[in-house]
Amino acid sequence: MKTILVVDDERNLRLFYEKELKEEGYDVVLAGDAKEAMDRLNQARPDLILLDIKMPGMDGLEALGRILSKDNSIPVILNSAYSSYRDSFMSWSADAYLTKSSDTTELKAKIRELLGMA
Amino acid sequence: MNPADTLTIILAGGQGERLAPLTKERSKPAVPFGGIYRIIDFTLSNCLNSGLRRILVLTQYKSHSLDRHLRHAWHIFNPDLGEFLDTLPPQQRMGDRWYQGTADAIYQNLFFLEDERPSRVVILSGDHIYKMDYSEMLEAHLARKADLTVAVVEMEVEKAAGQFGVLQVDREERICGFQEKPESPQPDPERADICLVNMGVYIFETEALVRNVVEDARRPTQHDFGRNIIPAMVNNFRVCAFRFADLNKKEQKYWRDIGTLDSYYEASMDLVQVEPLFNLYDKRWPIRTYPAFEPPAKMVFAGDGEIGSGESAQRIGVALDSLVSNGVIVSGGRVERSILSPGVRVNSYAHIEDSILFDGVDVGRHCRIRRAIIDKGVRIPPNTTIGFDPKADSRRFTVSPGGIVAIPKGENLSEA
Repeated sequence: MKTILVVDDERNLRLFYEKELKEEGYDVVLAGDAKEAMDRLNQARPDLILLDIKMPGMDGLEALGRILSKDNSIPVILNSAYSSYRDSFMSWSADAYLTKSSDTTELKAKIRELLGMA
Repeated sequence: MNPADTLTIILAGGQGERLAPLTKERSKPAVPFGGIYRIIDFTLSNCLNSGLRRILVLTQYKSHSLDRHLRHAWHIFNPDLGEFLDTLPPQQRMGDRWYQGTADAIYQNLFFLEDERPSRVVILSGDHIYKMDYSEMLEAHLARKADLTVAVVEMEVEKAAGQFGVLQVDREERICGFQEKPESPQPDPERADICLVNMGVYIFETEALVRNVVEDARRPTQHDFGRNIIPAMVNNFRVCAFRFADLNKKEQKYWRDIGTLDSYYEASMDLVQVEPLFNLYDKRWPIRTYPAFEPPAKMVFAGDGEIGSGESAQRIGVALDSLVSNGVIVSGGRVERSILSPGVRVNSYAHIEDSILFDGVDVGRHCRIRRAIIDKGVRIPPNTTIGFDPKADSRRFTVSPGGIVAIPKGENLSEA
Protein backbone atom coordinates (compact mmCIF):
# COMPACT_ATOMS: atom_id res chain seq x y z
CA MET A 1 0.00 0.00 0.00
CA LYS A 2 1.30 3.45 -0.92
CA THR A 3 1.86 5.98 1.86
CA ILE A 4 1.14 9.68 1.53
CA LEU A 5 2.50 12.28 3.95
CA VAL A 6 0.09 15.20 4.31
CA VAL A 7 1.65 18.40 5.69
CA ASP A 8 -0.79 21.16 6.62
CA ASP A 9 -1.06 23.45 9.61
CA GLU A 10 -4.88 23.36 9.59
CA ARG A 11 -6.13 20.37 11.53
CA ASN A 12 -9.50 20.20 9.76
CA LEU A 13 -7.81 20.11 6.37
CA ARG A 14 -5.44 17.37 7.52
CA LEU A 15 -8.41 15.28 8.60
CA PHE A 16 -10.24 16.06 5.36
CA TYR A 17 -7.30 14.89 3.21
CA GLU A 18 -6.78 11.87 5.45
CA LYS A 19 -10.38 10.76 4.91
CA GLU A 20 -10.35 11.46 1.17
CA LEU A 21 -7.06 9.69 0.53
CA LYS A 22 -7.82 6.71 2.78
CA GLU A 23 -10.96 6.18 0.71
CA GLU A 24 -8.68 5.97 -2.31
CA GLY A 25 -6.79 3.17 -0.63
CA TYR A 26 -3.68 5.00 0.58
CA ASP A 27 -1.99 4.93 3.94
CA VAL A 28 -1.92 8.49 5.26
CA VAL A 29 0.57 10.04 7.66
CA LEU A 30 -0.06 13.55 9.01
CA ALA A 31 2.24 16.42 9.99
CA GLY A 32 1.12 19.81 11.35
CA ASP A 33 4.21 21.78 10.33
CA ALA A 34 7.45 21.48 8.37
CA LYS A 35 9.47 20.36 11.35
CA GLU A 36 7.08 17.53 12.11
CA ALA A 37 7.15 16.63 8.42
CA MET A 38 10.93 16.29 8.56
CA ASP A 39 10.61 14.07 11.63
CA ARG A 40 8.09 11.84 9.81
CA LEU A 41 10.42 11.73 6.84
CA ASN A 42 13.27 10.56 9.05
CA GLN A 43 11.11 7.74 10.40
CA ALA A 44 9.91 6.30 7.09
CA ARG A 45 9.99 7.27 3.44
CA PRO A 46 6.50 8.08 2.15
CA ASP A 47 5.67 7.43 -1.50
CA LEU A 48 4.39 10.98 -2.01
CA ILE A 49 4.13 14.21 -0.06
CA LEU A 50 1.25 16.67 -0.14
CA LEU A 51 2.74 19.92 1.11
CA ASP A 52 1.01 23.12 2.20
CA ILE A 53 3.01 26.32 1.66
CA LYS A 54 1.83 28.94 4.13
CA MET A 55 2.58 27.50 7.54
CA PRO A 56 3.90 28.97 10.78
CA GLY A 57 7.64 28.45 11.25
CA MET A 58 9.33 27.01 8.21
CA ASP A 59 7.11 27.45 5.15
CA GLY A 60 6.42 24.80 2.57
CA LEU A 61 8.91 26.16 0.02
CA GLU A 62 11.79 26.04 2.44
CA ALA A 63 10.62 22.61 3.61
CA LEU A 64 10.57 21.47 -0.02
CA GLY A 65 14.26 22.30 -0.38
CA ARG A 66 15.05 20.29 2.74
CA ILE A 67 12.87 17.37 1.73
CA LEU A 68 14.51 17.15 -1.70
CA SER A 69 17.99 17.43 -0.26
CA LYS A 70 17.12 14.43 1.88
CA ASP A 71 15.56 12.46 -0.98
CA ASN A 72 15.11 14.09 -4.37
CA SER A 73 13.12 11.17 -5.76
CA ILE A 74 10.00 11.55 -3.59
CA PRO A 75 7.16 13.14 -5.59
CA VAL A 76 5.95 16.33 -3.94
CA ILE A 77 2.69 18.16 -4.65
CA LEU A 78 2.53 21.73 -3.40
CA ASN A 79 -0.99 22.33 -2.24
CA SER A 80 -1.79 25.94 -1.41
CA ALA A 81 -4.85 28.12 -1.01
CA TYR A 82 -2.93 30.72 -2.99
CA SER A 83 -1.88 30.55 -6.61
CA SER A 84 0.68 33.36 -6.22
CA TYR A 85 3.45 30.99 -5.11
CA ARG A 86 3.46 29.54 -8.62
CA ASP A 87 5.88 32.34 -9.53
CA SER A 88 8.27 31.39 -6.77
CA PHE A 89 11.41 29.78 -8.18
CA MET A 90 11.47 27.21 -5.42
CA SER A 91 7.96 26.01 -6.25
CA TRP A 92 9.25 24.98 -9.68
CA SER A 93 11.11 22.10 -8.12
CA ALA A 94 7.85 20.46 -6.97
CA ASP A 95 6.27 17.82 -9.19
CA ALA A 96 2.94 19.65 -9.20
CA TYR A 97 1.31 22.77 -7.84
CA LEU A 98 -2.39 22.64 -7.00
CA THR A 99 -4.64 25.26 -5.44
CA LYS A 100 -6.71 23.92 -2.59
CA SER A 101 -10.25 22.94 -3.44
CA SER A 102 -13.05 20.97 -1.80
CA ASP A 103 -13.23 19.04 -5.05
CA THR A 104 -10.35 16.58 -4.82
CA THR A 105 -10.76 15.04 -8.29
CA GLU A 106 -7.74 16.82 -9.72
CA LEU A 107 -5.65 16.09 -6.65
CA LYS A 108 -6.47 12.39 -6.75
CA ALA A 109 -5.73 12.19 -10.46
CA LYS A 110 -2.39 13.93 -9.97
CA ILE A 111 -1.47 11.57 -7.14
CA ARG A 112 -2.27 8.53 -9.28
CA GLU A 113 -0.21 10.01 -12.11
CA LEU A 114 2.81 10.70 -9.91
CA LEU A 115 2.63 7.27 -8.34
CA GLY A 116 2.54 5.72 -11.78
CA MET A 117 -0.96 4.37 -11.27
CA ALA A 118 -2.74 6.47 -13.89
CA MET B 1 21.67 46.20 -22.58
CA ASN B 2 20.60 47.22 -19.14
CA PRO B 3 23.17 46.20 -16.55
CA ALA B 4 20.62 46.75 -13.76
CA ASP B 5 18.70 43.65 -14.73
CA THR B 6 21.80 41.49 -15.13
CA LEU B 7 23.22 39.67 -12.14
CA THR B 8 26.71 38.19 -12.20
CA ILE B 9 27.49 35.12 -10.15
CA ILE B 10 31.12 34.08 -9.76
CA LEU B 11 31.72 30.51 -8.68
CA ALA B 12 34.65 30.77 -6.32
CA GLY B 13 34.20 27.69 -4.19
CA GLY B 14 36.66 25.42 -5.97
CA GLN B 15 38.86 23.40 -3.68
CA GLY B 16 41.71 23.39 -6.18
CA GLU B 17 43.12 20.09 -4.97
CA ARG B 18 45.36 19.76 -8.03
CA LEU B 19 46.97 23.08 -7.12
CA ALA B 20 48.04 21.77 -3.73
CA PRO B 21 50.03 22.83 -1.74
CA LEU B 22 49.21 26.38 -2.91
CA THR B 23 45.62 25.70 -1.88
CA LYS B 24 46.59 24.33 1.51
CA GLU B 25 45.32 27.43 3.27
CA ARG B 26 43.26 29.19 0.62
CA SER B 27 40.75 28.51 -2.11
CA LYS B 28 41.89 28.44 -5.71
CA PRO B 29 40.59 31.93 -6.67
CA ALA B 30 42.66 33.38 -3.81
CA VAL B 31 45.97 31.90 -5.01
CA PRO B 32 48.47 34.70 -5.76
CA PHE B 33 49.36 35.19 -9.42
CA GLY B 34 51.69 37.52 -11.29
CA GLY B 35 53.37 38.94 -8.20
CA ILE B 36 50.64 41.22 -6.90
CA TYR B 37 47.35 39.68 -8.05
CA ARG B 38 45.05 36.89 -6.91
CA ILE B 39 43.57 34.63 -9.58
CA ILE B 40 40.05 36.03 -9.05
CA ASP B 41 41.26 39.58 -9.83
CA PHE B 42 41.24 38.79 -13.55
CA THR B 43 37.60 37.75 -13.66
CA LEU B 44 36.59 40.64 -11.40
CA SER B 45 38.54 43.14 -13.52
CA ASN B 46 36.71 41.78 -16.57
CA CYS B 47 33.41 42.40 -14.79
CA LEU B 48 34.36 45.91 -13.78
CA ASN B 49 35.65 46.79 -17.24
CA SER B 50 32.57 45.25 -18.90
CA GLY B 51 30.13 47.24 -16.77
CA LEU B 52 28.93 44.22 -14.75
CA ARG B 53 28.72 45.64 -11.26
CA ARG B 54 26.08 43.57 -9.55
CA ILE B 55 28.16 40.65 -8.43
CA LEU B 56 27.64 37.71 -6.14
CA VAL B 57 30.72 35.65 -5.29
CA LEU B 58 29.85 32.16 -4.07
CA THR B 59 32.57 30.96 -1.73
CA GLN B 60 32.97 27.68 0.06
CA TYR B 61 36.20 25.98 1.14
CA LYS B 62 38.86 27.89 3.05
CA SER B 63 37.25 31.17 2.13
CA HIS B 64 38.90 33.46 4.67
CA SER B 65 41.83 34.51 2.50
CA LEU B 66 39.53 35.15 -0.47
CA ASP B 67 36.98 36.96 1.64
CA ARG B 68 39.61 39.26 3.08
CA HIS B 69 41.08 39.99 -0.33
CA LEU B 70 37.64 40.86 -1.72
CA ARG B 71 36.95 43.19 1.19
CA HIS B 72 40.30 44.93 0.91
CA ALA B 73 40.75 45.10 -2.85
CA TRP B 74 37.22 45.15 -4.23
CA HIS B 75 35.33 47.30 -1.79
CA ILE B 76 34.68 49.81 -4.56
CA PHE B 77 31.14 49.17 -5.71
CA ASN B 78 28.61 51.85 -4.98
CA PRO B 79 25.28 50.71 -3.52
CA ASP B 80 23.80 54.15 -4.32
CA LEU B 81 24.21 53.26 -7.98
CA GLY B 82 22.78 49.79 -7.56
CA GLU B 83 26.23 48.22 -7.58
CA PHE B 84 27.35 45.53 -5.18
CA LEU B 85 29.83 42.77 -4.64
CA ASP B 86 28.53 40.32 -2.05
CA THR B 87 30.25 37.16 -0.95
CA LEU B 88 28.01 34.33 0.02
CA PRO B 89 29.10 31.08 1.66
CA PRO B 90 26.62 28.15 1.53
CA GLN B 91 23.50 29.13 3.48
CA GLN B 92 22.34 25.53 3.97
CA ARG B 93 18.73 26.58 3.42
CA MET B 94 18.18 23.44 1.37
CA GLY B 95 19.64 21.12 3.97
CA ASP B 96 22.93 20.45 5.66
CA ARG B 97 25.18 20.15 2.66
CA TRP B 98 27.83 22.11 0.81
CA TYR B 99 27.65 22.76 -2.90
CA GLN B 100 27.59 19.43 -4.72
CA GLY B 101 28.46 20.94 -8.10
CA THR B 102 28.32 24.19 -10.05
CA ALA B 103 24.61 23.83 -10.80
CA ASP B 104 23.86 22.95 -7.18
CA ALA B 105 25.60 26.19 -6.14
CA ILE B 106 23.02 28.10 -8.17
CA TYR B 107 20.15 25.88 -7.00
CA GLN B 108 21.05 26.45 -3.37
CA ASN B 109 20.86 30.19 -3.96
CA LEU B 110 17.42 30.24 -5.59
CA PHE B 111 16.14 32.38 -2.75
CA PHE B 112 18.72 35.03 -3.56
CA LEU B 113 17.73 34.95 -7.24
CA GLU B 114 14.12 35.20 -6.12
CA ASP B 115 14.87 38.43 -4.28
CA GLU B 116 16.91 39.93 -7.11
CA ARG B 117 14.75 38.74 -9.99
CA PRO B 118 17.29 39.69 -12.67
CA SER B 119 16.28 39.17 -16.31
CA ARG B 120 19.45 37.27 -16.93
CA VAL B 121 22.38 35.83 -15.06
CA VAL B 122 26.03 35.83 -16.07
CA ILE B 123 27.84 32.86 -14.52
CA LEU B 124 31.62 32.99 -14.33
CA SER B 125 34.39 30.97 -12.82
CA GLY B 126 36.72 32.59 -10.32
CA ASP B 127 39.80 30.67 -11.39
CA HIS B 128 40.56 31.54 -15.00
CA ILE B 129 43.10 33.98 -16.42
CA TYR B 130 41.89 35.94 -19.46
CA LYS B 131 40.57 39.29 -20.57
CA MET B 132 37.10 39.41 -21.99
CA ASP B 133 34.46 42.05 -22.57
CA TYR B 134 31.31 40.33 -21.33
CA SER B 135 29.15 43.19 -22.66
CA GLU B 136 29.85 42.01 -26.23
CA MET B 137 28.74 38.53 -25.31
CA LEU B 138 25.66 39.96 -23.62
CA GLU B 139 24.77 41.87 -26.78
CA ALA B 140 25.14 38.73 -28.87
CA HIS B 141 23.03 36.81 -26.36
CA LEU B 142 20.24 39.39 -26.61
CA ALA B 143 20.43 39.77 -30.39
CA ARG B 144 20.04 36.04 -30.86
CA LYS B 145 17.34 35.71 -28.22
CA ALA B 146 19.23 32.85 -26.67
CA ASP B 147 18.17 31.05 -23.50
CA LEU B 148 21.81 30.26 -22.85
CA THR B 149 24.99 31.55 -24.45
CA VAL B 150 28.22 29.67 -23.80
CA ALA B 151 31.57 31.35 -24.44
CA VAL B 152 33.94 29.13 -26.38
CA VAL B 153 37.61 29.33 -27.20
CA GLU B 154 39.34 27.55 -30.06
CA MET B 155 41.95 25.08 -28.88
CA GLU B 156 44.22 22.47 -30.43
CA VAL B 157 42.49 19.09 -30.33
CA GLU B 158 45.33 17.32 -28.52
CA LYS B 159 45.50 20.05 -25.88
CA ALA B 160 41.79 19.80 -25.16
CA ALA B 161 41.65 16.00 -25.05
CA GLY B 162 40.54 14.76 -21.64
CA GLN B 163 40.88 18.24 -20.15
CA PHE B 164 37.96 20.41 -21.22
CA GLY B 165 34.33 20.43 -22.28
CA VAL B 166 34.16 20.33 -26.07
CA LEU B 167 31.18 21.43 -28.14
CA GLN B 168 29.92 21.54 -31.69
CA VAL B 169 27.94 24.29 -33.37
CA ASP B 170 25.73 24.48 -36.45
CA ARG B 171 25.96 27.18 -39.09
CA GLU B 172 24.03 29.64 -36.94
CA GLU B 173 26.42 29.02 -34.04
CA ARG B 174 23.77 27.12 -32.15
CA ILE B 175 25.30 24.43 -29.99
CA CYS B 176 24.31 20.99 -31.27
CA GLY B 177 26.68 18.73 -29.36
CA PHE B 178 28.52 18.77 -26.07
CA GLN B 179 30.95 16.36 -24.43
CA GLU B 180 32.67 16.84 -21.10
CA LYS B 181 36.40 16.03 -21.23
CA PRO B 182 36.26 13.68 -24.24
CA GLU B 183 39.37 11.60 -24.93
CA SER B 184 39.20 12.38 -28.65
CA PRO B 185 37.47 15.73 -29.16
CA GLN B 186 35.43 16.27 -32.31
CA PRO B 187 37.28 18.88 -34.39
CA ASP B 188 35.79 21.97 -36.00
CA PRO B 189 34.42 20.96 -39.45
CA GLU B 190 36.57 23.60 -41.11
CA ARG B 191 39.81 23.00 -39.24
CA ALA B 192 40.76 19.47 -38.35
CA ASP B 193 43.29 20.42 -35.66
CA ILE B 194 41.01 22.79 -33.74
CA CYS B 195 38.02 22.19 -31.47
CA LEU B 196 35.75 24.50 -29.50
CA VAL B 197 36.23 24.47 -25.74
CA ASN B 198 33.76 25.57 -23.07
CA MET B 199 35.28 28.47 -21.10
CA GLY B 200 32.86 28.22 -18.18
CA VAL B 201 31.41 31.62 -19.07
CA TYR B 202 27.63 31.46 -19.35
CA ILE B 203 24.78 33.91 -19.87
CA PHE B 204 21.38 32.49 -18.97
CA GLU B 205 17.92 33.93 -19.21
CA THR B 206 16.94 33.64 -15.57
CA GLU B 207 13.84 31.54 -16.20
CA ALA B 208 15.77 29.03 -18.31
CA LEU B 209 18.48 28.87 -15.66
CA VAL B 210 16.07 28.23 -12.83
CA ARG B 211 13.98 25.67 -14.73
CA ASN B 212 17.07 23.70 -15.58
CA VAL B 213 18.88 23.74 -12.24
CA VAL B 214 15.61 22.88 -10.52
CA GLU B 215 15.00 19.92 -12.83
CA ASP B 216 18.60 18.85 -12.48
CA ALA B 217 18.27 18.93 -8.70
CA ARG B 218 15.64 16.20 -9.01
CA ARG B 219 17.91 13.95 -11.04
CA PRO B 220 20.78 11.75 -9.85
CA THR B 221 23.44 13.79 -11.67
CA GLN B 222 26.68 15.49 -10.70
CA HIS B 223 24.81 18.81 -10.75
CA ASP B 224 27.39 20.34 -13.03
CA PHE B 225 26.84 22.90 -15.79
CA GLY B 226 29.24 21.26 -18.21
CA ARG B 227 28.32 17.65 -17.57
CA ASN B 228 24.59 17.94 -16.99
CA ILE B 229 22.89 21.29 -17.58
CA ILE B 230 24.20 22.18 -21.04
CA PRO B 231 23.77 18.69 -22.56
CA ALA B 232 20.22 18.60 -21.16
CA MET B 233 19.41 22.03 -22.64
CA VAL B 234 20.85 21.61 -26.10
CA ASN B 235 17.74 19.96 -27.57
CA ASN B 236 14.98 21.90 -25.84
CA PHE B 237 16.35 25.41 -25.47
CA ARG B 238 18.05 27.99 -27.62
CA VAL B 239 21.69 27.43 -26.71
CA CYS B 240 24.23 29.50 -28.64
CA ALA B 241 27.99 29.69 -28.71
CA PHE B 242 29.91 32.94 -28.46
CA ARG B 243 33.43 32.85 -29.83
CA PHE B 244 35.83 34.45 -27.43
CA ALA B 245 37.11 37.75 -28.78
CA ASP B 246 40.31 38.48 -26.98
CA LEU B 247 41.04 41.94 -25.66
CA ASN B 248 44.59 41.02 -25.11
CA LYS B 249 45.67 42.63 -28.39
CA LYS B 250 47.62 39.53 -29.26
CA GLU B 251 46.94 37.19 -32.11
CA GLN B 252 46.60 34.18 -29.91
CA LYS B 253 43.42 34.14 -27.86
CA TYR B 254 44.51 33.92 -24.28
CA TRP B 255 42.46 31.90 -21.83
CA ARG B 256 43.95 29.73 -19.14
CA ASP B 257 42.28 27.43 -16.68
CA ILE B 258 44.81 27.33 -13.87
CA GLY B 259 44.13 23.73 -12.95
CA THR B 260 47.45 22.22 -11.94
CA LEU B 261 50.79 23.31 -10.52
CA ASP B 262 52.34 22.91 -13.96
CA SER B 263 49.68 25.01 -15.73
CA TYR B 264 49.97 27.59 -12.96
CA TYR B 265 53.72 27.68 -13.43
CA GLU B 266 53.52 27.95 -17.21
CA ALA B 267 50.95 30.76 -17.13
CA SER B 268 53.07 32.61 -14.59
CA MET B 269 56.31 32.19 -16.49
CA ASP B 270 54.68 33.57 -19.63
CA LEU B 271 54.55 36.93 -17.84
CA VAL B 272 58.32 37.29 -17.65
CA GLN B 273 58.81 36.84 -21.40
CA VAL B 274 59.93 39.90 -23.34
CA GLU B 275 56.56 39.85 -25.10
CA PRO B 276 54.16 37.93 -22.88
CA LEU B 277 51.02 36.39 -24.37
CA PHE B 278 49.10 37.98 -21.54
CA ASN B 279 49.33 41.75 -21.48
CA LEU B 280 49.18 43.40 -18.07
CA TYR B 281 49.94 46.82 -19.48
CA ASP B 282 46.78 47.64 -21.41
CA LYS B 283 45.50 50.90 -19.94
CA ARG B 284 42.10 50.34 -21.47
CA TRP B 285 41.70 47.07 -19.64
CA PRO B 286 43.33 47.54 -16.24
CA ILE B 287 43.68 44.59 -13.90
CA ARG B 288 42.82 45.70 -10.42
CA THR B 289 44.06 44.25 -7.17
CA TYR B 290 44.85 45.24 -3.62
CA PRO B 291 47.67 47.76 -3.70
CA ALA B 292 50.10 46.66 -1.02
CA PHE B 293 51.52 49.72 0.67
CA GLU B 294 55.14 48.81 0.38
CA PRO B 295 58.18 50.91 -0.48
CA PRO B 296 59.60 50.68 -4.01
CA ALA B 297 61.57 47.60 -4.98
CA LYS B 298 65.25 47.95 -4.23
CA MET B 299 68.39 46.27 -5.50
CA VAL B 300 71.59 46.85 -3.58
CA PHE B 301 75.28 46.05 -3.91
CA ALA B 302 76.83 46.72 -7.26
CA GLY B 303 79.93 44.60 -6.56
CA ASP B 304 82.05 45.77 -3.65
CA GLY B 305 85.49 45.06 -4.93
CA GLU B 306 87.28 45.06 -8.20
CA ILE B 307 86.36 42.53 -10.82
CA GLY B 308 87.97 39.18 -10.12
CA SER B 309 88.98 40.00 -6.58
CA GLY B 310 87.15 37.26 -4.69
CA GLU B 311 83.70 36.80 -3.26
CA SER B 312 82.81 40.41 -2.60
CA ALA B 313 83.32 41.24 -6.26
CA GLN B 314 80.33 39.04 -7.11
CA ARG B 315 78.11 40.63 -4.51
CA ILE B 316 75.71 42.16 -6.99
CA GLY B 317 72.00 42.58 -6.34
CA VAL B 318 70.24 42.12 -9.65
CA ALA B 319 66.94 40.87 -11.12
CA LEU B 320 66.77 40.06 -14.83
CA ASP B 321 63.80 39.02 -16.99
CA SER B 322 61.70 39.15 -13.84
CA LEU B 323 58.65 40.75 -12.28
CA VAL B 324 59.67 42.54 -9.11
CA SER B 325 56.91 43.86 -6.83
CA ASN B 326 57.02 46.68 -4.34
CA GLY B 327 58.75 46.04 -1.06
CA VAL B 328 61.20 43.57 -2.57
CA ILE B 329 64.86 43.89 -1.63
CA VAL B 330 67.37 42.03 -3.76
CA SER B 331 70.32 42.46 -1.48
CA GLY B 332 73.39 41.14 -3.23
CA GLY B 333 71.61 38.14 -4.77
CA ARG B 334 70.91 37.26 -8.40
CA VAL B 335 67.39 36.70 -9.72
CA GLU B 336 66.61 35.48 -13.24
CA ARG B 337 63.31 34.74 -15.00
CA SER B 338 61.34 34.87 -11.75
CA ILE B 339 58.33 36.52 -10.15
CA LEU B 340 58.82 38.19 -6.78
CA SER B 341 55.74 39.19 -4.77
CA PRO B 342 55.75 42.16 -2.36
CA GLY B 343 58.22 42.01 0.51
CA VAL B 344 60.45 39.25 -0.84
CA ARG B 345 64.08 39.46 0.27
CA VAL B 346 66.95 37.82 -1.56
CA ASN B 347 70.20 37.88 0.35
CA SER B 348 73.79 37.99 -0.85
CA TYR B 349 75.19 35.37 -3.24
CA ALA B 350 71.81 33.64 -3.48
CA HIS B 351 70.88 32.64 -7.02
CA ILE B 352 67.23 32.27 -8.00
CA GLU B 353 66.17 31.08 -11.45
CA ASP B 354 62.78 30.36 -13.05
CA SER B 355 60.95 30.60 -9.74
CA ILE B 356 57.90 32.20 -8.19
CA LEU B 357 58.28 33.65 -4.69
CA PHE B 358 55.12 34.73 -2.84
CA ASP B 359 54.84 37.61 -0.35
CA GLY B 360 57.53 37.94 2.27
CA VAL B 361 59.69 34.96 1.26
CA ASP B 362 63.20 35.36 2.61
CA VAL B 363 66.06 33.63 0.80
CA GLY B 364 69.25 33.23 2.81
CA ARG B 365 72.81 33.74 1.61
CA HIS B 366 74.31 31.33 -0.90
CA CYS B 367 71.00 29.58 -1.63
CA ARG B 368 70.53 28.10 -5.08
CA ILE B 369 66.89 27.86 -6.16
CA ARG B 370 65.57 26.76 -9.51
CA ARG B 371 62.07 25.99 -10.86
CA ALA B 372 60.34 26.40 -7.51
CA ILE B 373 57.15 27.99 -6.20
CA ILE B 374 57.61 29.18 -2.65
CA ASP B 375 54.51 30.20 -0.71
CA LYS B 376 54.03 33.19 1.58
CA GLY B 377 56.47 33.96 4.33
CA VAL B 378 58.70 30.89 3.98
CA ARG B 379 62.27 31.50 5.18
CA ILE B 380 64.89 29.63 3.22
CA PRO B 381 67.96 29.12 5.44
CA PRO B 382 71.39 30.03 4.03
CA ASN B 383 73.09 27.51 1.72
CA THR B 384 69.85 25.71 0.84
CA THR B 385 69.62 24.08 -2.59
CA ILE B 386 66.22 23.55 -4.20
CA GLY B 387 65.45 22.35 -7.73
CA PHE B 388 68.74 20.60 -8.51
CA ASP B 389 68.17 17.15 -7.07
CA PRO B 390 64.66 15.81 -7.85
CA LYS B 391 65.03 12.87 -5.46
CA ALA B 392 66.07 14.99 -2.52
CA ASP B 393 63.38 17.57 -3.34
CA SER B 394 60.58 15.03 -3.52
CA ARG B 395 61.51 13.68 -0.09
CA ARG B 396 60.88 17.12 1.43
CA PHE B 397 58.43 18.88 -0.88
CA THR B 398 55.68 18.49 -3.44
CA VAL B 399 57.19 18.05 -6.90
CA SER B 400 54.82 18.38 -9.86
CA PRO B 401 54.88 15.99 -12.85
CA GLY B 402 56.61 18.80 -14.73
CA GLY B 403 59.34 18.93 -12.07
CA ILE B 404 58.29 22.12 -10.30
CA VAL B 405 59.05 22.14 -6.58
CA ALA B 406 56.32 23.68 -4.42
CA ILE B 407 56.95 24.74 -0.83
CA PRO B 408 53.81 25.48 1.18
CA LYS B 409 53.02 28.35 3.49
CA GLY B 410 54.22 27.77 7.02
CA GLU B 411 56.94 25.31 5.97
CA ASN B 412 59.80 25.38 8.43
CA LEU B 413 63.08 24.65 6.67
CA SER B 414 65.40 25.31 9.57
CA GLU B 415 65.92 21.59 10.19
CA ALA B 416 66.60 20.81 6.56
